Amino acid sequence: MSKGKIVSIHSFRGGTGKSNTTANLAAQVALTGKRVGVVDTDIQSPGIHVLFGLDETKMGKTLNDFLHDKASIREVGFQVGENTGDAEGRAKLAGKNLWLFPSSIRGREISQILKEGIDFNRLNEGLQSTITEFDLDYLFIDTHPGLNEETLLSIATSDILIIILRPDNQDIQGTSVTVDIARSLDVPNLLLMVNKALPKYDFQTIKNDIESKFNAPVAGILPLSFDLADNASQDLFSLKYPDHAWSTALRGVASAILALE
Amino acid sequence: MIHQDILDFLRKTSVFKGLSDDLLRTLTESAMPRILAAGETLIKKGEVGNSLFIISQGWVKIVTEDSKGDELILNKCGAGEVIGEMSLFDSGLRSASVIALEAAQVLEISRAIFMDVLDKNPEVGFAIILSYSDRLRHNTTYIEKAIDWSQKTAAGDYSFIEATQPLSVGAGASDDKATELLSAFFTMVRKVKEREDGLKKQLEQLTFEIDQTRRKQDFEEITSTEFYANLKEQARTLRQKRNQS
Ligand SMILES: Nc1ncnc2c1ncn2[C@@H]1O[C@H](COP(=O)(O)OP(=O)(O)OP(=O)(O)O)[C@@H](O)[C@H]1O
Ligand SMILES: [Mg+2]
Repeated sequence: MSKGKIVSIHSFRGGTGKSNTTANLAAQVALTGKRVGVVDTDIQSPGIHVLFGLDETKMGKTLNDFLHDKASIREVGFQVGENTGDAEGRAKLAGKNLWLFPSSIRGREISQILKEGIDFNRLNEGLQSTITEFDLDYLFIDTHPGLNEETLLSIATSDILIIILRPDNQDIQGTSVTVDIARSLDVPNLLLMVNKALPKYDFQTIKNDIESKFNAPVAGILPLSFDLADNASQDLFSLKYPDHAWSTALRGVASAILALE
Repeated sequence: MIHQDILDFLRKTSVFKGLSDDLLRTLTESAMPRILAAGETLIKKGEVGNSLFIISQGWVKIVTEDSKGDELILNKCGAGEVIGEMSLFDSGLRSASVIALEAAQVLEISRAIFMDVLDKNPEVGFAIILSYSDRLRHNTTYIEKAIDWSQKTAAGDYSFIEATQPLSVGAGASDDKATELLSAFFTMVRKVKEREDGLKKQLEQLTFEIDQTRRKQDFEEITSTEFYANLKEQARTLRQKRNQS
């Protein structure tokens, strides 16, 4: 069995915190010395590159180029540990083995790929060869919300699926469908993560309620926090503020991932 | 004051508790009685201490000054209590003053007397070492316990409270500081837990509902496509391949 694990981060609705969570989880796992990749498969509305300090001027080859056969996966990988810039949190990743495989943020390229559709075999092949070529222990996939085709593909190929939900009835409803899909696709490991929980609620009750409804573990309940919103995805929050309650809970989720065999 | 009483007082101190009656008697017989008038100062804070005192009658107050220089009473001691036992060994500075509250009597054992007794009865030294090492071991055990409890408390594990209920909590003029510390610690943790439980109760409860019919409909809508059927097949092949390689 190849050693690299694919970890998909998904949510039924948008804005649940997938990109922030994915980037911070990947960073935490990379800090432990693991070799980690992050792929942005949110081709329609990419966002995670911002958290890794990548902007239009610095962005080289993208996943889009790979899908159009215009670049190899090697060329797409952006070595975060060597380009941390001066952000306080990211700076802690210096020298770590962490690569980002960004999606294009050029409007023309986005509309092109949406019009033509994605070659799923090519994407799949890309994910597998990313693991082998970069000798990764973990490949994190940030996805577009909902259950569109590229998201279904990322769920289907994942070893670990993390579904993020807010403590909200609509999110719960959507999550129930995603959980059923993940089981139908035989995803080996399913973890739930609650984000944006109001601190006035009893987290333990939320955890118990959700775990019993889905018969799956809740790896963490992360509080709604002005501090995180204020960070405005500019830096990796859990690295910049390691003692914050959000960061502590996030590290709990990272540990849950590392604990899965 | 009969000597038997004094013997009993001395036996309660940590210094002398290991001594035989004979040795205790030798010690008390060499002690110097002193009579204090009301208001008389027995010990002055800051002076070098060279004696131990056993109160045989009346009351004294242990005092220091507060930040404004006013008298601050730390404690009151009466018959049977022993003051300044450590000064027999270390001639440290007195940490507080002792003043008679009324006409009182004390027995003074000076370091000179003590050393004299020690010279003639070397076994006294050994008995004292024994009682101190005993105390040290006892304290170490308690400190270890306090460390263990602190770690558990930090982790939110209060189970030791139930398991430790029989421990005498608070009360009692014990000269055993380790036991006192542990009791205080225990009381503190119990209070912390109570406050925490109170806070938890104030948290609002939130639970959710799932519309199972809609869940089923949505699931069927997604899984009934050809795309999905292919994907499921591909995923199966992929997993088989990964498991084999
Ligand atoms: N626990 C939180 N408390 C407060 N704000 C949060 C929290 N988590 C995320 N946010 C904020 O919510 C917004 C959306 O976060 P993010 O981009 O990570 O979500 P997403 O699920 O990737 O969104 P999309 O579905 O658009 O891709 C961001 O502004 C982020 O700073
Ligand atoms: Mg996103």
